[in-house]
Amino acid sequence: MADIRMRQGVHNLDASQVAAFRDAYRQMMRINDNRGYQVLAGRHGVPDWYCWHHQQNARVAQNMRLFLPWHRAYLYTWEMAMRDRVPGVTLPWWDWTLGPPRQNGLPAIFTQRTGADGQPDPLLGFRINLPQANPPVVRPTRRSPGSPSELPRQANVDDCMSRTEWADFSDALEDIHDQVHGWVSGDMGVIGTAAFDPIFWSHHTMIDRIWWLWQARNGNGNVPTDLLDEVLAPFNLQVRDVLNVHDLGYEYAAAQSVVPIGGTG
Amino acid sequence: MGRTPRTPAPRKERAPGPRRLDAPRRVGGGARIFTTRPVSIDFATPEHRLTRADLEIRGIFHGEASYEGRIFFNNPKADHDTPRDREHGYAGSFYIFGHGGCLGDPGHCEVNEHARERYDYRAPHPLTLASKSVTVTDVVRDLARTNKEVTITIVPVITAANDLCDTDNVFRCEDMRLVSYN
Repeated sequence: MADIRMRQGVHNLDASQVAAFRDAYRQMMRINDNRGYQVLAGRHGVPDWYCWHHQQNARVAQNMRLFLPWHRAYLYTWEMAMRDRVPGVTLPWWDWTLGPPRQNGLPAIFTQRTGADGQPDPLLGFRINLPQANPPVVRPTRRSPGSPSELPRQANVDDCMSRTEWADFSDALEDIHDQVHGWVSGDMGVIGTAAFDPIFWSHHTMIDRIWWLWQARNGNGNVPTDLLDEVLAPFNLQVRDVLNVHDLGYEYAAAQSVVPIGGTG
Repeated sequence: MGRTPRTPAPRKERAPGPRRLDAPRRVGGGARIFTTRPVSIDFATPEHRLTRADLEIRGIFHGEASYEGRIFFNNPKADHDTPRDREHGYAGSFYIFGHGGCLGDPGHCEVNEHARERYDYRAPHPLTLASKSVTVTDVVRDLARTNKEVTITIVPVITAANDLCDTDNVFRCEDMRLVSYN
């Protein structure tokens, strides 16, 4: 596990980790080619529309549930692009089940107008530049978050985790995911523009983490074999490639508390 | 220095461009509310064993607004202000992460899956209709003690919609059914 990178909760990042996270996004936002924020965020909704949601049928009779594998491949690709800019940085997850005093709705680092360095905070928003869309979308992202009491709670996650069958679990987790998108609202609230909001990536990292925790209990939970060879376009990965996060080089850090007790003296 | 009479410079007419799309906004209630015809729940009466009951909603359109679909049993007057508690028949919610309207050229959001050729290996259309399942066991079990039939009301509460979205006709589905397990 020496080379495995650790993803951490937003709430657990120290100042230097927050600075690295901001720096990665700031640099990506300056790049207009396919290594940058604009192009990669546009893979999800407008203009490329590669994302998988719901239970779309393709050529097989069963429903295709590629929501979780596709987004895992997407996050992996995104995190690699982050690390091209700032080596060592990882994607942190936004645990929306946390309440005060640790967090109250959106994590604080996503709501500040400027970072510690005084520069505009890249975690607050991104200027979408899609003049070719119909109608054009050329403006900063916006949010309109709901009351923190309307976010999913740990009980909702527990209910989801209690489902042992793949389709049942995937649909339940996707519904929680849908709820959070709607809670943030604004651009995060619709598929077309969601990925342009910087909070998108940390929301999906939380979803991916819950899937991984579920896999730790249930294995792959009988993911239908028909799905294993499905290509997760436009990424160079199939479903079978993303089932084990260690094969993708990352892991989720466990919450750790250290209480010094001392010795016998 | 004498002043030259100023004549206004001819105005440059700005060519009309395509309108730009503002960010989606939270709309809340006001969309059309749907109530089913009375549905039999005799499968859940006390003499039956019922371990789980799901409301399955199939063929849901998700091309426009995002919304919470609040489910009320035996409360056809429910709206977005109705308390979400058992007393008012609230049974749970499902959430739709909507497409946000069509951001393409004409035809971009038309789903035509049935007309696929045999060797068409492209991905399905993103707007292929969705399904949701909400576990409603406790509510159904309670109501079955005194009712043979129930109505189900779906109250859409819009969480995000832009100018491309119909904010009246929000909840659209092909079919609903109650599925029980014993």
